[in-house]
Amino acid sequence: MTDTLLPAAAAPVGASTPSPRPRRRSGRDLTLVTLVTVVSLLLFVIVGLPLIRILTVALSAEGWEIVSSMLTNPVNRRILWNTVQLGVLVAVLGTAVGFVMAYAQVRLKFRGKKLLHLIALMPIVSPPFAVATAAITMFGRNGIISNKLLGLDIDIYGLKGLVFVLTLSFFPVSYMNLKGMLESLDPSLDEAASNLGASKLKIFTSVTLPMLVPGIAGSFLLLFVESIADLANPLVLGGDYTVLASRAYLAVTGEYNVAGGAAYSLVLLVPALSVFLVQRYWVSRKNVVSVTGKPAGSPELITAPALRIPILGLALVVAGLVVLMYATVIFGGFVKIFGVNNDFTLSHYRFVLAGIGSDAMFTTTLLALVATPIAGLLGMLIAWLVVSKLKRTSGLMDFVGMLGLSVPGTVIGIGYAIAFNTPTILGGRQWFPAVAGGSAILGGAMAIVMVFVARSLPSGQRAGIAALQQINPAIDEASTSLGANSFTTFRKVTLPLIRPALLSGLTYAFARSMTTLSPIVFITTPQTKIMTSQILAEVDAGRFGNAFAYCAILIVIVLSFIGLLNLAMLHPSIRGIQRR
Amino acid sequence: MSRSRSSAFLLAVPLGLTALLAACAVEEPTSSDPQSSSSSGSGSIKGTGEVVVACTPQEEQCQAMAAAFTKASGIKTSFVRMSSGEGVARLDAAKSKPEFDVLYGGPSDGHVAAFNAGLIEAYSSPNAAKIPDKYKDKDGKWTGTYVGVLGFCSNKDQLTKAGVEAPKSWADLLDPKLKKQVAIAHPSTSGTSYTAVWTEMVLNGMDEAKTFDYLGKLHQNVLQYSKSGSAPGQMAGRGEVAVGVIFSHDCVKYQKEGFDMLETTFPSEGTGYEIGAVSVVKGGPNAENAKKFIDWTLTPDHQNIGPTVGSFQIPTNPDAKITDDMVKLDEIKLVEYDSIAAGEKKKALTAKFDAEVAPAPKE
Repeated sequence: MTDTLLPAAAAPVGASTPSPRPRRRSGRDLTLVTLVTVVSLLLFVIVGLPLIRILTVALSAEGWEIVSSMLTNPVNRRILWNTVQLGVLVAVLGTAVGFVMAYAQVRLKFRGKKLLHLIALMPIVSPPFAVATAAITMFGRNGIISNKLLGLDIDIYGLKGLVFVLTLSFFPVSYMNLKGMLESLDPSLDEAASNLGASKLKIFTSVTLPMLVPGIAGSFLLLFVESIADLANPLVLGGDYTVLASRAYLAVTGEYNVAGGAAYSLVLLVPALSVFLVQRYWVSRKNVVSVTGKPAGSPELITAPALRIPILGLALVVAGLVVLMYATVIFGGFVKIFGVNNDFTLSHYRFVLAGIGSDAMFTTTLLALVATPIAGLLGMLIAWLVVSKLKRTSGLMDFVGMLGLSVPGTVIGIGYAIAFNTPTILGGRQWFPAVAGGSAILGGAMAIVMVFVARSLPSGQRAGIAALQQINPAIDEASTSLGANSFTTFRKVTLPLIRPALLSGLTYAFARSMTTLSPIVFITTPQTKIMTSQILAEVDAGRFGNAFAYCAILIVIVLSFIGLLNLAMLHPSIRGIQRR
Repeated sequence: MSRSRSSAFLLAVPLGLTALLAACAVEEPTSSDPQSSSSSGSGSIKGTGEVVVACTPQEEQCQAMAAAFTKASGIKTSFVRMSSGEGVARLDAAKSKPEFDVLYGGPSDGHVAAFNAGLIEAYSSPNAAKIPDKYKDKDGKWTGTYVGVLGFCSNKDQLTKAGVEAPKSWADLLDPKLKKQVAIAHPSTSGTSYTAVWTEMVLNGMDEAKTFDYLGKLHQNVLQYSKSGSAPGQMAGRGEVAVGVIFSHDCVKYQKEGFDMLETTFPSEGTGYEIGAVSVVKGGPNAENAKKFIDWTLTPDHQNIGPTVGSFQIPTNPDAKITDDMVKLDEIKLVEYDSIAAGEKKKALTAKFDAEVAPAPKE
């Protein structure tokens, strides 16, 4: 079965052998054209095609009926409002929390920075419903802290709980973005302001903050679309707070109403895409160049208590909550029923490791490892093309690249099922065989890798764009006038300059792949089991202990990868390749 | 030169890795070796190759079932655990090229709905002769392998807190003291929950308006609709709600797993039940093995596995063992459950529930 795929894909294997691609005669334009063509084709296959197919279904007569009733029906209007409300709240809170954590990390002087950094990364390395289940255990209606310790009767189900859990789950996205940006800000600007007599607060509001606008806007966008598209948490603790994602999911999984699901998702696309467009328009006018290629000093760390105490205090509260959530996950995996029957047991780990769990663990890690470098590099490449190379089409490419994230995972998943469960035939010719579903080649594993890439490249792309927008175009031009073609410039000049963004892109790509759920539930196959969908099964069935065990194992895998990646990035041989 | 090499590198690495690693992924075995129970090598089910099952009971039961069938038949058995509504949806999504061979478990109405949608095909197993007529479709669209009875799974502590007795009737669930203290699954995804909806239909003399009036009132007391049918039992066990409406055998399972404060009650008006069925997926990749699998599920070999993994549904084969933990059918008032009618109305009723009941605001 694999024969059909291997010749095509295996041909370019072996980076050391000469390229099988046709030689380009001359000129950077041809290099650029080739790059753009390859990137566009990849994007078309991993996001374009599934979306076109699902839009066709959504706009079919059956789907359109639902879309149009959406605006007249008060129930549906409320679902839409719920979704937007949740998205805005989480985006604002999450960005604020991420900023506080990043600012403390980069600018404040205190002990235990590394630890705070690791804690801030924790939520990114686990499936969001780890936080949800831990939150129910701790702060739920019969929660250990809320009820048994404090005697409170908190109703965590609904908007409050969702905002709490989503903020705690997603703030690391904004933390990583803003930390990278804060680090790349030129401290000489601060010094200049300081020399001119500005106070710390003045520097913060009139120098630091304006420079961070692209990063803040980017975080807001990412958090907004992630929270409105999030499926796991509304399923676990939505209560009667229905959002579009869970509504679309129900339509598809429960009523096998693909048209209905597509229709609800189409409505979900409207707020997601409008925020994206607003952000683009707004940010493009607030561009600030700060990386000039000229040497810069290292920033002076802030010791003033007026800034330190409130910021560190907030950071510690957040860190405390994160630690509490993950302590719950880890502890909960070793007791029978956390909060009800706290006897020690290994049965949850046995359940996970003895059968399907170990299988899913291996497959998921492998597929995520395949997807990570593709997503990381593709994200940077798109960012670079968008910022420095493309002119009229840059908006389009940025837009298409982001679709993997701005389109709800549910839609991507169903789109994949519709588009790739059967061989792709265009113009009477079969382009590739079925890649999704249990009867597809490689047991559907290829579609899963494609989804991983589609879902995780946007974060790299955003980080890359945010970083590149701060780089003076003169650097690129200098490389070009010295005779380097587009690709060489990208590899030798741009990539090293945006290494923090690439690192964050890769880290996020792996974590994202390991933890993505909503598209995966539609395309896992009996042969290719994915951890997140196994965890959802456990959470949904209420077997929190098993879910905790799964989550703990998943966290260990992702943390190990991040550790190794950070080590590798420091290693001279890798720096060498990029710096040579 | 360095130019072409570098571009080749960029393209080659991801593509090559995809091919290599994805190839590895498929070669890795879908192992399933946990506790397998007794097996008798009844020659007829022996076979080669594989069979892929869409499995709707609890994960442990699916695992034990797959392991036992692999051991008994030599046919490699893999499964995906899904709620039954979800399972049918999944079959529908891959209709043109099915990935599953068997739909295993879940109320027979779901199988009827799937048959009407052209997703499964009739198969009259020779072993079905043993199964009482009330537990199988006469045309072999589906055959029952277990029976489960709907009940109330209540947390005694939470009941005391709310100041109510364990519910003894459907009407009891509407007690304002139970506001946001009831959990039930969503009838779209869960066969369990649809069984409850159909039970209300029967109790209300097939009057849709009356049924939805009840469901609307119940909605005021429901904390959350879960995806899978058994989840409300866990929510009750953890004290998130006072009462979960689930199949009683799941409540017994949770009690055994350490939720000591759970108790099972049944509604006095009459309660619904499921005939957990098996059926053959139309055009599945391993049609022969699917039939062998179904033959096997109707034998005591298969039906005695449940109790070993804490699943206490009543077996349909009279030769299979009945344990003390199972519900005594003659002690409970059951409604007249017509699964064909239920299956035919399923899509319309769940769609109506989804549009009118589930998203409605609570006072």
